This record gives sequence, structure tokens and C-alpha cells, in this order.
Amino acid sequence: MWRNKSNMIRLTALLSAVLLLAGCAYAGQGTDKGKDGMSNAGKKRKVALIAKSTTSAFWKSVYSGSSAASTACNMELLFEGPEKEEDYETQNKMIEQAVREGYEAIVFSAVDYKKNAEAINAAAAKGVKIVGIDSDVDSNAVSCRIGTDNYNAGCVAGQAVLSGKEGILYVGIVNFEKRSENGQERERGFFDTVKKDEHVHIVETINVISTTEDAKKETLRLLDRYPHINTIVTFNEWTSLGVGYAVREKRAGEKIHVVAFDSNVVSVGMLETGEVDALIVQNPYAMGYLGVETAYNLLNGTPARKERIDTETLCVTRENMYDDECQKLLFAFE
Amino acid sequence: MRKQKYNAEWIKRIAMSEIFTVATTLIVILASVVSFSIFVRIYRNATEEDVVTSSEQAVVQVRNMVSGYIKDMSGVMDMIHENIGKKERYQDEFLENLLEVRTDIIAITTYDSEGRLLDCWSGGYEVKKNYLKNLSYDSKVPKETAAAGQLYITKPHVESLFVDYYPWVVTISQYMQRAGGEYVQVAIDIKFSNIARYVDDVGIGQHGYCYIMNHKGGIVYHPQQQLIYSGLKEERYATILKEGTQMNQETIYAVEKVENCDWLIVGVSYVDEMITSRVEKVVHTLMIIIPAVILAAFLAGSMFSRIFSRPAKRLTKAMGEFEKNTDGFQFHPITGTKEIATISDSFEHMVLQIQRLVEQVRQEEISLRKTELKALQAQINPHFLYNTLDAIAWMCEEERNQDAEEMVNALAKLFRISISKGYELIPIEKEVEHAASYLKIQNYRYKNQFTYQFDVEDECLLYYCNKITLQPIIENAIYHGLDRMVEEGKIRIAIFEDGEDIVFTVEDNGVGMTEEECREILYRETSDRVGIGIKNVNDRIKIYFGEKYGLSIKSELDEGTKVIIRMPKVTERNYVEK
Repeated sequence: MWRNKSNMIRLTALLSAVLLLAGCAYAGQGTDKGKDGMSNAGKKRKVALIAKSTTSAFWKSVYSGSSAASTACNMELLFEGPEKEEDYETQNKMIEQAVREGYEAIVFSAVDYKKNAEAINAAAAKGVKIVGIDSDVDSNAVSCRIGTDNYNAGCVAGQAVLSGKEGILYVGIVNFEKRSENGQERERGFFDTVKKDEHVHIVETINVISTTEDAKKETLRLLDRYPHINTIVTFNEWTSLGVGYAVREKRAGEKIHVVAFDSNVVSVGMLETGEVDALIVQNPYAMGYLGVETAYNLLNGTPARKERIDTETLCVTRENMYDDECQKLLFAFE
Repeated sequence: MRKQKYNAEWIKRIAMSEIFTVATTLIVILASVVSFSIFVRIYRNATEEDVVTSSEQAVVQVRNMVSGYIKDMSGVMDMIHENIGKKERYQDEFLENLLEVRTDIIAITTYDSEGRLLDCWSGGYEVKKNYLKNLSYDSKVPKETAAAGQLYITKPHVESLFVDYYPWVVTISQYMQRAGGEYVQVAIDIKFSNIARYVDDVGIGQHGYCYIMNHKGGIVYHPQQQLIYSGLKEERYATILKEGTQMNQETIYAVEKVENCDWLIVGVSYVDEMITSRVEKVVHTLMIIIPAVILAAFLAGSMFSRIFSRPAKRLTKAMGEFEKNTDGFQFHPITGTKEIATISDSFEHMVLQIQRLVEQVRQEEISLRKTELKALQAQINPHFLYNTLDAIAWMCEEERNQDAEEMVNALAKLFRISISKGYELIPIEKEVEHAASYLKIQNYRYKNQFTYQFDVEDECLLYYCNKITLQPIIENAIYHGLDRMVEEGKIRIAIFEDGEDIVFTVEDNGVGMTEEECREILYRETSDRVGIGIKNVNDRIKIYFGEKYGLSIKSELDEGTKVIIRMPKVTERNYVEK
């Protein structure tokens, strides 16, 4: 049975050794497991969120979402954006600097679909993970795109216009920066929705600088030029305010049906008082949260669930603004 | 039967130490595995109880605080009740002060029984002139609440009365009777800031948390409220939770009801981190400790067994050596445990005793032989004596006095040397004389049928040899070789040195012997004749000088026989020593 005298001893030794190894391997596996628990990592991962702006309610909400996610994932978060929403150069500099400072992932919202691409590609070439939110950039380096389905949001805006007023609709469009991808997508969705309807006449499309003042000024000029305009569509938070103020100044809340984008306390107030008739509300908190969470997963080797994650949009009108669903999306919980 | 034998076969091949080591290790492994699984099970159960208790405790703590807060609000409500009937000036002053002190109260509103807003105290916030909707008013508040003291609390909503300010609040409503007698509904809108303080910091384990829901499962306050509002998180089981503790595969829910309202505190903790990870940690530790213990057991086992088995092995080896070489074996005592020492001592004792016994037996044998030999030597071949005496008588009769005298002299010398005062070894010179006397006598008797010749080196004469060595060989030559011969026989005796030895040869040209006869002469006891046989000569030489020495016979039929005797050089001095 035991051909060699020492076979038995060897076998026992082997058995013990195998058990020991198994033990070590098991223990080793245990330490690997740490990454599942979100706050176990010894060193904090660094993620930068480079936004189009940091002042609007939209971006503030993105910030609170991203900061909630960075707390949950135990990451260090840098949140920054240019002062002006047209300033792609500053954004590019911010990307470069973030890469220099050792940020491992960038959650990015592009001012300029084309002109931000190079900086993003350069960052990706250095191994930085890129997650796009809100507004896309023309780069293959983006691992995951999170945001509103802008085309669809445009369609929703179109529906809101069509269900607004009876009779012929003379529509003025106040859009922002032409090179910004999301605004153009929304406009396209809007056009595609309303062009089938013969009541709709698109009077003019203007592109304004994305500030309340410029939007207001341009809207007033537009209304002066075309007094018969009875419907205005606008596609972001600042232009919405500008349009709202312009309508308020003209005291044309009753006459002009305004479909605006995004929400803040002022535009919600305008919705209540009638200058604005519908708000297409996005879910910026979810964008920020999912953006950072996705970046975290990418850094830990988990690929994004999907290449595109669409966050919800809701059309809020005076009638439904205090419904549970709308309240939750419209008003931030502090 | 066969199997038993087979077992016995393999068990023979295993050393004690191996059995010991393997048995120890196996026992330790078995014990470890059994105790491991039992321990892990017990530990898991204990941890589970522990976790349930701790989450219950956490929830009860939150429940108590929230209850306290609600009670507090109830107190506020009572104070409002006391003041609401007073003059408007006092009433306003009181309520504005209250709002200033209690930062968690956003607004206090009153409604008539139709639901019309009567008054609104807002603590400085601008109230909308035309509000779209007033979420703070709840038409469902029953009027009986005034009596029961039960607070009616709405689900969370935004404060919809203020310009540009939309905080999330819950509204606590109660009907109360004003001094005038009519009923008013008082609504207090409270922010979550205080409630959040009670709930947010409560952690159960690493990721566990508490939240507040109403009895329908609607979330009132959750530490991650915004996440839930954004649709990123949901409390899946909220609607089916009941008071008490519930557990599913991943999550433990502890639910406690808050007094005086329909709120429930829910504590959520994760089985994975609370139980599994703890158990895993213990398992990890054990998985390191147990192999270490097994390894230690193995090492200790082999060490102990070595302590025991190495001396045992040495003993075995010593026994083997002793078996091979009983005489020359020298035993070195083996150190080891008490048992080993005992065995070693016994073995040593036994070795010495056996060696002594063996030596004793040998000595006894030698002395026995010597006695035998002496007895033999003492014997006189009577026939030889009679025949010789007959021959002498016959010589006297024929008046061959000279011959008779020579014969008598020879006979006398023969006997004298034969006896040699009882010494076994005599000088070779004497032995030669003895042989010569014998040959002389026989030559007379055989009427000169043979001739003989001595070739003795002078150097040899002084060495000693066994007495009566040559005579039996010459006798054999005469009787077996020459007696039956027709022609003249010849006997040649030679003695010479060969290195350290002396060699005697006795040659005849007689009929010779077959190989079988040669062997017979050398190895068979002579029983037919009296006197000393050739075997006896050989035996004596071997006993005295060892196996190296002794006789050899070369013989060819019809040619003759040559007997060669070899013995060491023995001088008088070392003979005396011997």
C-alpha cells in the first residue's frame, strides 16, 4: 500500500501544505473583496467633473448628485466649470490641469461638440477614464454617455407646444450656443415633432449667449420684430429665464405660450404666474450621481452598464407641477 | 485469512514514527474541520442575533427621538391652541416669536372649516399673493383630532405658499376650537432639518441606515431622499414591511412604530456586511490558523516520533549488527526516552550475557576436546604393541640381538615421545624422532618392503608442533598405500618453512586413493581401529591454530598420495604463553 516508507509522511505534509495554501489564498481573496464595499479602499480615487457652468440650478443639482456619489464611493471630487457657457477653451485647460493633477477620471459635459474633442482624447490617451454627461463631445474616448435623450426632450417640447394653444402657432425659437451638441439635438427633436403639423409656423430661430440678460435682450428684439409670435420655445435654464423675463416685461404671459427647459425657483415661479407654460425638466441630480458612480466603476474595472444611459425628462405644466412626481423632480430636497 | 496476512504485510513496512505522525496530523485535521464548522455555525447564529439586536436598538433609539420630536410638536400645538383665541396682536407676536425660535417650523397657517386660508405666519418669507395650490391644507383632517390629541401628519410636500422658496416640509394639522366657538384647522409646516439630525447619523454597520415611512409605505424621510426622488434608489420592500424584525437574503429590516402618528422607523442593514463579512473575517482568520495548527501538529508529530523512533531505529540497527557479528559487536548505549533507555539497557545487558555465554560454550568445547584427545593419546594400540613385541621375541629367538635391541629402543622412544609428559606441543625434532622410530619398527615388521627418507630443514627443528602428527599419516600410508604393493614402496617425509608457516609433507608411491576416500579419511571419525586417525590430527591442528591451518590430501590412483600439513611457526616461548 505504501510502497515507500516516507510516502505517508510526504502525503501528510502535502495535505497540510495544500490546506495552508488554500487558507492563504482564501485570506488573499478576502482582501481583494474590499473593492466591493464602497468605502474600503485605502487611497481615495480622484474624479473631476468638468461642467459647462457652475452657477445654474441645473449644475448645482448635478453637483449635489455627484458629491453624493463621491461620498458613497469614497472618492475625491473636483467640480468645476467655466464662467461662461461658451468657453470651451477654459474647459480644455481644466481638462489638461485635471490630468496633470492626477485625476483618474473625468466626468465631462462639453461646451463645444468639436473643439473639446482634442483635449478629451489627449486625456484619454493618458489613461484617464472619460464619462460624458448632459452634452456630448465628438470623441471615441467617452466610455459612457449619461444624460437626457436630448432629441426626445426636443420632441417632448414639441408636444408641449402642440398641446398649448389653439389656432395657428407662430413659433420663435431661442436657442443657445450653436456648437453645443445638446441644444442642437433638442432643436432637431422639436422640429421633427412640429413640422408635421400645418398649424405650426416657425418664425425664426435665434442663437443667444447663454445668459439671462442676453437671452432676454434677444427675445425682446425678436418679439419686437415679429409681434405676431404666440409661442416661444427655448432650450436651457438661462435662456428660459431670459425668455420668461422678456415675456413678463411685455406683459404677454397670457398671449405667448412659452415652453422652457430646466427648472429653478424663478422659472418655477414663472410657471406658477404664467410667463412660462411648460417646463421640460431633466434629472441633473441623477446625471451627476450616475456620472461619478460610472467613473468609479470604470476605475475599478467594471465596465459601464450601457454605452448610453438616458435620464428621465418630464414635462411640467401649471396643472401638474404639484403632483408628487413633478415635485420630486422639480424641487431639490435639501 | 489472506487479507489479514496482506494487512500484516503492509503494516510491517511502516515505521512507528510514520504512523504516529500521520495519526496525529489526521486527528488534528479532523478535529479542526469539525470544530471549524461547528464554530462557524455557532458564530454565525450569534452574530445574527447580535445584528438583529443592534439594529433593533438603533431603530428604537431613532424611534424615541422622533417620538420626542413629535411630542414636542404636540406641545407646540398646545401652545398655539392656548394663544390662538387671544387678541390678534398677542397672537401674532407669539407666533412670530415661535417661528423665530423654532427654525424647523417654516410656516403656521390656519383654515376655516371650508378650507379657506385664514392666516399665515411665515417667519419673514414672502407669501405669494395668488398661490396656485396650497399643499399645507389637508381636507382629510378629522375634526375629532382636537380631542384625541392625535396629530395628523401629511406626507412630504414642497411649501407652495412662498415666493421663490420651495422647501420640502411635512404638515402637522389639528383642529381646534377658537374662543368664539368655531373650529379652525391649524397647520404647522416643518422642515426636515431636525428629523434629519436624528436619522442621518444613525448607522447600522457600515452601510446600514434608518428611514421614516408612513404606514402605507410612503417615504417620509430618508437619508438619501434626493436619490430616491431622482429615481436612483428605491426602498423595495417598504410597502410590505410590518412592525418587528424582518430578514431576507440580503437585508435585515427592523421596524418600530412612532407613538401618536402613523410613522414607522425602518432600520436597514445588510446581511452581507453585518453577518457574512464578519463571519468571513473569522473564517479567514481560521483558514490561516487551522493550517498553521495542522502544520505545527505535523511538525510536532514528526519531531516527537523522531525522538521516539530514531533511538528505536538505532536499536534495530544495533540488533542487526549484533546478529551478524556476535563476537566482535560492541554496544554503545542509546539515549532516548525512558522506555528507550530501558530497552537499551536491557539489550546491552543481553549482548554482554550472550557474548559471555558464547565464549563460555567455546571454551567448554575446547577443553572437552582436549580432554578427549589426551585420553586418546594415552591409549596404546595393543595390536601394534603385540606385533612389535612378537617381532622382538622372534628376533631374540633367532639371536638377532642387535636388531632386537634396536627395536626395543625404538619402541621405547616411540612411547616416550607419545606421552611427552602430557604436553600437546613438542619440538619438531622430537616429532621427527617419533616418526623415525615408528618407521624403523614398521620396516622391521614389513621386512624392508619399503624405504623411507626424511628431508627436514634444520631451521624447522626448533619450532613446535602437535605431537603424533606424522605417525598417523605414515601409518595410513603403510596400511593403505604400501601394504598391498608388489614392488618396493617409498615414503618421503619433508618439513620446510613457508613464510610464517611450517609445512609437513608425507608422500608415498602407493596405490593412491579416490577423492571420496580422501574426504572420508579427513572428515570421518575412525571407529574401526584404535589409535589416532588422520581426522584427529586435522582437528587438533585446527583447534589449536585455527581454520587456516590443517591437512590437505592430494592423491592419484596407482601414483601415490601426498598429505600436506600446515601449521604456524610456534616457538617455545609463545607455546608457553599459549
